[in-house]
Amino acid sequence: MNNGPLKETEKMLIPEEVTLLLRLRDIHKNYTIGGQEVRALDGVDLDINHGEFVAIMGPSGSGKSTLLNIIGCLDAPTSGLYELDGIDVSKMDETEQAHVRNQRIGFVFQGFNLLPRTTALKNVSLPLLYGHHHDMVAIATAALTRVGLADRLYHTSAELSGGQQQRVAIARALTMNPPLILADEPTGNLATKQSEEIMQIFQGVNDEGRTVVMVTHEPDIALFCKRMVIVRDGKIVEDGPVKDRRIAKSA
Amino acid sequence: MNLIESLLVALGGLASNKMRTALTMLGIIIGVGVVIIVVAIGKGATKSVTDSVNALGTNILTITPAPSHVRINAATVQGSVDVPDRLTLADATFISHNFKKSIMAVAPQVHGQVQIVLGNTNATTTLTGTTTDYPFVNNSTVSTGRFFNAREVEGSLKVCVAGTTVASNLTGDATSNLTGHSIAINHEMFLVVGMLTSKGIAGPGGDQDDVIVAPITTVMRRILNKQVLNSMTVRCKDAPTMLLATEQISNFLRNRHHLHPPFPANDDFNVRSSTELMARIQGITGTMTSLLSAVAVISLLVGGIGIMNIMLVSVTERTREIGIRKAIGATPADIRLQFLIESAVLSLAGGIIGIFMGVGGALLLAKLSGWSTIVSIGSILLSLGISAGIGIFFGLYPASKAASLHPIDALHYE
Repeated sequence: MNNGPLKETEKMLIPEEVTLLLRLRDIHKNYTIGGQEVRALDGVDLDINHGEFVAIMGPSGSGKSTLLNIIGCLDAPTSGLYELDGIDVSKMDETEQAHVRNQRIGFVFQGFNLLPRTTALKNVSLPLLYGHHHDMVAIATAALTRVGLADRLYHTSAELSGGQQQRVAIARALTMNPPLILADEPTGNLATKQSEEIMQIFQGVNDEGRTVVMVTHEPDIALFCKRMVIVRDGKIVEDGPVKDRRIAKSA
Repeated sequence: MNLIESLLVALGGLASNKMRTALTMLGIIIGVGVVIIVVAIGKGATKSVTDSVNALGTNILTITPAPSHVRINAATVQGSVDVPDRLTLADATFISHNFKKSIMAVAPQVHGQVQIVLGNTNATTTLTGTTTDYPFVNNSTVSTGRFFNAREVEGSLKVCVAGTTVASNLTGDATSNLTGHSIAINHEMFLVVGMLTSKGIAGPGGDQDDVIVAPITTVMRRILNKQVLNSMTVRCKDAPTMLLATEQISNFLRNRHHLHPPFPANDDFNVRSSTELMARIQGITGTMTSLLSAVAVISLLVGGIGIMNIMLVSVTERTREIGIRKAIGATPADIRLQFLIESAVLSLAGGIIGIFMGVGGALLLAKLSGWSTIVSIGSILLSLGISAGIGIFFGLYPASKAASLHPIDALHYE
């Protein structure tokens, strides 16, 4: 489909053969707000392969966050088909969707969404708790070490900076080792330097072969990605590879 | 998520808001505490009644006059002017002499409140007039001195025996021996010839040691000025002869009082066995206990509604947290379990504190009021079960509400 030639890094980390991870067909999402029907998504078709790093961009109200929520099984489309790894998840019940979110998807939010008054380690352990893992402390510690917070395991959210909190959130998204990482404006609350640190982590995660899909409205952040999808009025209006891709420097 | 992890999460939630947790538990604490105290009082009362009946013996019949309208009706029906006295001393004598096959002894009794004086101290007590058969029939013994004898009854002599509470009221010391002293009973001087052994039973039936016992002849003529008896206590040979004795006594009294059928509707007396009496009193205390327990259960219900209220507030406050948990893979069942455990822990902890308060309250009450209270394991287990049940029942709605929250709505909740 729309995959270009593979780069060297991708070749090492993903199956030789490029495989489809997400398949969305004619996705519609309608809301009723104050008696008025709003078409948040109006017939979206999108395919994303394993190993891609996609930025979804668009003005506010364009439906980009709605699209990400549907991809993340947090919201159900009004109509349309959504397959994740060949499985139709739009027909699943709440419990099955919860399992999909737990096993296959890692979320990173703009507002970090860590549990208040809870240590970094506990926050990162949470997906393992619902995934019925046993060696929770070891896995969570490894995930926090990976994002450079090995010395902040027992700090609560209030004791961490914004950038550190977002790194805890990324560690939490990585604990269950999911093939798909979704991020909704992950750098929206951060300063430029911290944003670049976060993007560096995402690029590292993508280099491992994980698919990253990120919503952002900052063009310079989108430049860290490989592919850019632009949404306007509930439709995809542009879709192509990122030119002049930036590689985040190590801090 | 397993149960222990859920429990830790729930405890963390409760610990983060201690004041609210404590206030919410209060309803359950009070409810459970009251249930335990009420049941303890009920059981204690029942036991003291049983004890006094057992102390008396089980093959005892008590004969008392029936309410007077029955007797007047009976007299009107027969049209006789010869209205007989009610229970008399002669009745008692006749019964004790004629039914030897079934009856061992009869103690006729008259009672009255009297004023007693020893030196400068005065007190009021119950004066019982009876015969020499009283100690045997009533399972009473004297600790010092002697009981009055048949000659003293025949001669209407002014002698008496006293209970330990009387001694304590007059001298301030329950162990003091009044034998040989003279006591003024309603201004008549009586010689104390012995002290009754303490029965040591205090309860709703009154203090059985707060009594002076004197010859019935003396009491009827000189002190209380009575012609008829308050009661007769009859000791039967053994349990099987009680029915025969009841029949013989009833027939004799009906004949003597010229009563006409139907019986027992027209009887002017009641014959009751001690076990019957016990059953009646236990019935009354049982009713009281269930009534008060019902009140306590209502307060538990109110406590449960308090828990539901707080759990709803908690769900609303933690909407965002619920959204986060759902986003990272908590199923509706996980969320429901978390809040259910939280409300069950809240209620159960209240229940356990309530049990300690109830047991403490029952012991304190026993100490302060002298009532005997018995804390039963059954009421403790029941309270535990009820409080856990309340927590789960009243937690169900808030927990389901939390479980059904939409992840996106919950995440965007401010």
